[in-house]
Amino acid sequence: MSLDVALWLGQDGLVNGAIYALLALSLVLVFSVTRVIFVAQGEFVALGGLTLAALQAGRTPGTFWLLCAAHGAVALRDGAAALRAGSARGFGRSLLFHLGYPALLAPVLWLAPLRSAPAWVQIPLTLALVVPLGPATWRLAFEPIAGASVLTLLIVSVAVHLALVNLGLLSFGAEGVRTRPLSEARLSLGSVAVPAQAAWVVLFSAGLMAALWFLSRRTLAGKALRAAAMNRVGARLSGIPVALAGRWSFALAALVGAASGVLISPITTLYYDTGFLIGLKGFVGAVIGGLASYPAAAAGALLVGLFEAGASFWASAWKEIIVFGLVVPVLLWRSVAARHVVEED
Amino acid sequence: MTRLRLVLCALAPALLLPPAAAAQINVGVTVSATGPAASLGIPTRNTVALLPTTIAGVKVNWLVLDDATDSTSAVKNARKLVSENKVDVLVGSNTVPNSLAMIDVAAETGTPMISLAAGARIIEPVDAKKRWVFKTPQNDQLMAAAVAGHMARKGVKTAAYIGFADAYGDGWWSEFSRAAEGRGIKVVASERYNRPDTSVTGQVLKILAARPDAVLVGAAGTPAVLPQKTLVERGYQGLVYHTHGVTNPDFLRVGGKDVEGAFLPAGPVVVAGQLPDSHPCKAAGLEFVRRYEAAHGAGTASSFGAHAWDAGLLLQAAIPVALKRAKPGTPEFRAALRDALEGVRDLRGTHGVFNPSPADHLGFDERARVMVQVKGGAWQLVP
Amino acid sequence: MSRRVAAAALAAALLAAPLLLDDYHLSLSCYIGMNALVAVGLVLLTGVSGLTSFGQAAFVGMGAYASAVWTTSPAVPAALGSWATSPWVALPVTLSLAALAALGLGAVTLRLAGHYLPLGTIAWGLSLYFLFGNLEALGGHTGLAGIPPVPVLGLALASPRAFHLLTWAVVLGAVLATRNLLDSRAGRAIRALKGGRLMAESMGVDTARMRAVVFLVAAMQAATAGWLYAHFQRFVNPTPFSLHAGIEFLFMGVVGGIGEVWGALAGAGLVTVAMQWLRDVLPRLVGQAGDFELVVFGIAMVAVLQRSPQGLWPLLARRVPPPPRRLDAGAPPLPRRAMPPRGEPLLEVRAVVKRFGGLTAVDGVSLSVRAGEIVGLVGPNGAGKSTLFDVLSGVADPDAGEVHLRGHAVQGRSQRAIAALGLCRTFQHAQLVTGMSAVENAALGAHRRGRRGVLAAAWRLDRAEEARLLGEAARQLFRVGLGADPWRPAGTLPLGQQRLLEVARALCADPCLLLLDEPAAGLRHLEKRALAELLGSLRREGMSVLLVEHDAEFVWGLADQVVVMDFGRIIAAGPPAEVRRDPRVVEAWLGAEG
Repeated sequence: MSLDVALWLGQDGLVNGAIYALLALSLVLVFSVTRVIFVAQGEFVALGGLTLAALQAGRTPGTFWLLCAAHGAVALRDGAAALRAGSARGFGRSLLFHLGYPALLAPVLWLAPLRSAPAWVQIPLTLALVVPLGPATWRLAFEPIAGASVLTLLIVSVAVHLALVNLGLLSFGAEGVRTRPLSEARLSLGSVAVPAQAAWVVLFSAGLMAALWFLSRRTLAGKALRAAAMNRVGARLSGIPVALAGRWSFALAALVGAASGVLISPITTLYYDTGFLIGLKGFVGAVIGGLASYPAAAAGALLVGLFEAGASFWASAWKEIIVFGLVVPVLLWRSVAARHVVEED
Repeated sequence: MTRLRLVLCALAPALLLPPAAAAQINVGVTVSATGPAASLGIPTRNTVALLPTTIAGVKVNWLVLDDATDSTSAVKNARKLVSENKVDVLVGSNTVPNSLAMIDVAAETGTPMISLAAGARIIEPVDAKKRWVFKTPQNDQLMAAAVAGHMARKGVKTAAYIGFADAYGDGWWSEFSRAAEGRGIKVVASERYNRPDTSVTGQVLKILAARPDAVLVGAAGTPAVLPQKTLVERGYQGLVYHTHGVTNPDFLRVGGKDVEGAFLPAGPVVVAGQLPDSHPCKAAGLEFVRRYEAAHGAGTASSFGAHAWDAGLLLQAAIPVALKRAKPGTPEFRAALRDALEGVRDLRGTHGVFNPSPADHLGFDERARVMVQVKGGAWQLVP
Repeated sequence: MSRRVAAAALAAALLAAPLLLDDYHLSLSCYIGMNALVAVGLVLLTGVSGLTSFGQAAFVGMGAYASAVWTTSPAVPAALGSWATSPWVALPVTLSLAALAALGLGAVTLRLAGHYLPLGTIAWGLSLYFLFGNLEALGGHTGLAGIPPVPVLGLALASPRAFHLLTWAVVLGAVLATRNLLDSRAGRAIRALKGGRLMAESMGVDTARMRAVVFLVAAMQAATAGWLYAHFQRFVNPTPFSLHAGIEFLFMGVVGGIGEVWGALAGAGLVTVAMQWLRDVLPRLVGQAGDFELVVFGIAMVAVLQRSPQGLWPLLARRVPPPPRRLDAGAPPLPRRAMPPRGEPLLEVRAVVKRFGGLTAVDGVSLSVRAGEIVGLVGPNGAGKSTLFDVLSGVADPDAGEVHLRGHAVQGRSQRAIAALGLCRTFQHAQLVTGMSAVENAALGAHRRGRRGVLAAAWRLDRAEEARLLGEAARQLFRVGLGADPWRPAGTLPLGQQRLLEVARALCADPCLLLLDEPAAGLRHLEKRALAELLGSLRREGMSVLLVEHDAEFVWGLADQVVVMDFGRIIAAGPPAEVRRDPRVVEAWLGAEG
């Protein structure tokens, strides 16, 4: 293998690994705060890319209707809760937000010339459409059974994944999309001419990861999230609203997912069902990192990306076997390193 | 107990459906409208909705079920259609494994079946079971021979293959490697990727290292874009071929300038408008495109839907013959329909001219494929 | 409606089904059966033993492919004649292959800790799926066709009508065998695997072996489902064995209720029927334009789990109460161990040290216990008493020092080896299998006194021994004062009684040395007195007791010798009357309590 090929493969593994790392981080975040292994995380990647592509094609993205439906359902649930409680406190605000938000977006989607709008308009709008689906998912699917076993929560998250994938199929169809790159330029690193978009992916991922880390360590909200992750009862006793922590962690997960989708949609083709495999590899990375530490999860995810690039060069038909086969010894090593008897819950 | 009773009441209709009334023809269609082959299944289902609801004066019910690209579900659907809806003929499914899995049900119940998948294995060799099975898409072999022939004419000496890691990619690899050998073309690399993969850089680097004169991408629909895009990005100068599985408008949309200049074999329907008037498939092709686009918008017709259209044409040709021998809903009618399908002569479909025989349940010839090039973001007939 | 009637109704419905249903619904029923078979294995593996596996679909695939290759491949020697194409010959071949694979994969998987384990199953599940697609001999991604149907008495079971009975005979057989297994000596050990490995080990259960057994059983059940699948479908390709299928099996288990064997049936039935029903009904409601089935299905399953996070079965089980259980009072008692002669040195602890990082929890402790003696080990919280217990019972290895039990050096030996020498312990925080009844929890203590294994249990060849084990458990329950309601789930007992149950369980082991960690905590006055009387009578029988206890009066009145620990060291030892006057003791411990 020449140096050239090695550089290319390294570049490829790095770009994919960066995306896996982003997803790994948000999986760790969601898991540590809510104990939900969020299988549907990958769907947000697909939704992000597909929504941006629909905007660029001048169509109203199906995500908007999804958002309306989800927000409507949350409002209904809040309404039912208000009825049961016999008091409308807080319901008015919920109604205002959940119905007002899509109502605010609607004129932008229909009246603004989005097709020709610059990326800095399209991308925030995409995020504005996709991200609220995260907290809505939490409210609808997980919040009512937040105390259930990890296994039950996992199965609920599989059911959510099934529903979301097929909602994606309904809204966007089976064919793939690609979006316009932020820049067509190519950066040359030695003999390797890297598309600027690939560099964007790595830079953005690194930036986002740093921001996440900073948020969780340095801000009050982040500290509250971590406190909720470590000790739910304790956090509640010290006045940290655990329910809010769930919402915020799902919002962050949706943001990370959608942003990843927006980032990679110019360099690859995204389909309604792309998310699962990406999410799975992110998950593998996160677990290699122990589902607890951010830097370890990011490192695990990068490792998966590099494994994959190498395997697709040497034996592409056996790629998945090699990638997942290699994961097993890593897990064994981690298990031995973990040492003490861990009782499964 | 009330809740349980509610559930039971809700389930009851599923368990106690009345059998469909006779004196009409029931056609059971199973398509892969969700799952990995959804891009084939959806146009198929759309096309079935356009097929005539009366043939030779008899009402025809088209019952469409989704099998989610899963062979177990395809068999479940086939069982359901045969035993519950008493269908006279099965149509589908879109993938080779699903179609192969359905053969046993068709043979066991004596129901003719028209597959919409390409693999020759579905109908060959015609034996006690497969005598019930027909299909409309061209065999991969025919298409692979066209690719190899075109390569040879272009002076290609070495070729590489990159295809799906699934039944489609497998089928094309075995046919193409055989066809290339026949033309004296050396296949220097064979790589695989998964449909939803976000990167094929590793595979492409391996191919580039082998320096082939041409690369064949054995993939269907928009996922076929990624290998060519990556090849272009890495500065590959040789020829790029695709398979007939890419012939839908989305491939051109997603591929954009990256797929410019690619060659592929295709059914005549893809370039129906450009065919000489003498071509036997021109009329059927134009008719299909007109009907489909009237229902779903300009530029939406794909060759996958056309396979279902051809199945409709076959049935329109065979049903009147079978009706003379027996009444729909009976085993005799199904047997008669099978015989009639085998006896179809010179049927001008959108993809080719059907001439089935007891030894060949497709009966296409060279007229069933043309070479096409992507030019200016459109399919261009290569004379 | 009693459970027995319900089971009979189910069996009758299954028997009558071929007469009543059409081919399609029978085939659906066959698929439900095959899915249920895999889900039953998952109940055992995930629900009962706590090992979450996403890889069962790979074992189904292995079963299906093995049988498919055996019955269709020309590579199987023709000299075998009709054997080479017989599904019945293929079955044992398939099962042995699956067993081999399960042993290999299990050896790796079961070494994985915590979340690594489920991920490990994803890893090999996916790898095997891609392997199926990449092997030319297995027909690649396209698959293998022409698999023969299963012949029974010269009749080929080709139609769903015929296959239905075969499938359900196998499924019900597996369900019964699994239920039998869980209600047995081995079953109790299996039920302790989830969250109670440490305790089970100290009762003499080889938990690593039990985990391997469970993994193997689940894999064989999955492979049997694969065998059925191959000969029903008569075509195999990789897609039905993907990771998604593995997730779907787990899905069925959890939706049905993964804690109970019948939950697997409920889940497989619900998921299969719901999916098919939606495919039927939705297009009629909303037209052919879209594919809403999976969307509605996903939302519906979320709703089901929100209603009942434990799955469907607990909802159903409430309507069909289990029959009351009885104990066989006539079973002969188990043989007892000969107690060492009174006064013989039983336990010798010499200069034992145990450190955790920088903290020395036990610092050069020496003590001895003679046969027929009660020794009280007292000291304030954090004095190192429980750590010393852990060292003595083999839970923790000492960093230095020696422990001799009946003349054998046991420091660093496994819990099981130490238990075999006649030491049994209770835990400071009651370690009970909360969902299991009190008498079964107690019987777990008698694990070492039984012999019957998994196979005997599955086919009910263990009943005589089982009656004796449960009889012993009931006797010990009665002895500690819990005889009133032996079938009450242990988790519903008040904390004090849970400790007494721990004592009963330890007594079931027929130990010569009993290690009790705060048995009187949470007991009321009268209960304490009864416990003291019990310990006294154990001493009369020749048993020795090492007792950690906070209640000073309890110890002074009972113990022959008292050892006082503080900061990991022994500060005083001797007869209670002497020790309670020791000024250091008064200062360190008694002073605090006045």
